[in-house]
Amino acid sequence: MNSESNQSPPSLALPAEPAAPPTPVPIWLMVLPFVLVYWGLVFFDERGGWFNPRVYAPYRSLAELESYQPPTGGISLERGKAIYDNICALCHNTDGMGKPNQAPPFVGSEWVLGNLNHMIRIPLAGLTGPIQVKGQEWNLSMPAMGAALSDDDLAAVLTYIRQSWGNKASPITPDQVKAVRGQVGNRTQPWTANELNAIQ
Amino acid sequence: MNHGPLIFLAAFFALASSWFGFVLTPQMQLGHLQQTNTLVAAVTYPIARPGGAHQGLQVYRVNGCASCHTLQLEQTGTVCDAVLAEAGTNTSALIAAIRQVKPSLSEAEASQLIREIPRTVLEGASRQTADFAVKTLSSAGAKSMLRIRPVGPDIGRGWGRRRTVAEDFLFDYPVLLGSQRIGPDLSNVGLRQPDLNWHLRHLYAPGREVKDSSMPPYRFLFEKRKIYQSLSPEALRLPPDLAPPPGYEVVPTTEARALAAYLVSLHADAPLFDAPLTPPPAAPSATPTNPPSRSAVVSAAASTVKPQ
Repeated sequence: MNSESNQSPPSLALPAEPAAPPTPVPIWLMVLPFVLVYWGLVFFDERGGWFNPRVYAPYRSLAELESYQPPTGGISLERGKAIYDNICALCHNTDGMGKPNQAPPFVGSEWVLGNLNHMIRIPLAGLTGPIQVKGQEWNLSMPAMGAALSDDDLAAVLTYIRQSWGNKASPITPDQVKAVRGQVGNRTQPWTANELNAIQ
Repeated sequence: MNHGPLIFLAAFFALASSWFGFVLTPQMQLGHLQQTNTLVAAVTYPIARPGGAHQGLQVYRVNGCASCHTLQLEQTGTVCDAVLAEAGTNTSALIAAIRQVKPSLSEAEASQLIREIPRTVLEGASRQTADFAVKTLSSAGAKSMLRIRPVGPDIGRGWGRRRTVAEDFLFDYPVLLGSQRIGPDLSNVGLRQPDLNWHLRHLYAPGREVKDSSMPPYRFLFEKRKIYQSLSPEALRLPPDLAPPPGYEVVPTTEARALAAYLVSLHADAPLFDAPLTPPPAAPSATPTNPPSRSAVVSAAASTVKPQ
């Protein structure tokens, strides 16, 4: 009886809640996020290209992409060919052979391979009247097709004409074109063969 | 539903961040893309596809070509070569320069290399190394050029010269980049196979043109019809076992011709700022390699016409 009254239901006295002692966050765990963020920023800076739409794999940055650009400057035959095909080839043909009753040929032409001062003047102001090319007389007229081209572009296309389809003549530099353009001035009247022959 | 506003906000931010990343950022980066100039030749790129090819993109789309073919090339890197173009006059200095650029070569190998001009002296180098090599060779009196060359598995397979970039697809809508390569990549198929009739024959009977091709024939793009008076000029020339019965011919429909024109128009090979390369040298018209017979014929024709 006595022993029964002493028995209390075990559920009434709850055991103490387990408690962890107050422990500080380890210092390395606080440093780690900062290290990861720093590494991420460095990684992005090196490879992200800073959201530049022209930079993507395999190039990591604008500087790397720029280091692989082909050298500029000098006379480019590719540029000359592009201008030739766009402007000159309509009449003189892509193979430089000219077209009957439309334009004389460039291949082996003494006007192309000969005096630089003559050749540069023709696209700057045009050409009209009778002219002898490779022993044939042509009597046509050409507008100033090259007047609007820059010195670099005109030099490129003239060099392309002088060095293509078997032509092997010296290149024409932008400086030479600039000098001749200065001499020609504002002339809009097309040249004649006699006028050109009078110029040395 | 105690946390309704919180769940709403969480869903909203999750969707908004993906919309920022996948829609808004690309739109800000490439949404205003315009025509650009190619490197070196400085011509406008890209040019809109001609009309037939433009319609062909829709035929490409409806026939599901993009589920087996991609239109995107990968590139893993860019290397530079130093090419020796002309030897100049000072051979001994040039041999010394070549051996300085490439120390593994013996003197005999270097002089052999000079005899085989144009030859690549240095291959697969960085830009700085190649620039130095070009300078060394040039100062020995030789003519030397730098060649910039994209590399990668796709380029090694001969599928193109460089990676594809956003500009290549400027005038295409929709852009069908594709994601599976059950067939080869087609971003430069117009360079590899510029013959329109080949593409038509290939669409009609792929296995005949490409051995072991797994592509199904697209014969519904062709019409078998009775020959009226004489064979049509556009009729396919088929081998005897595929040929239609006598009196009939197989002609491509407008769709087949448009699709073939589109395939021929696919070439992403222009050198651009975001995909630099040195264009391959010596375009056919720029080299003096015309057979003499042809130029003789042309000059003969020119001499028979009297210029006015």
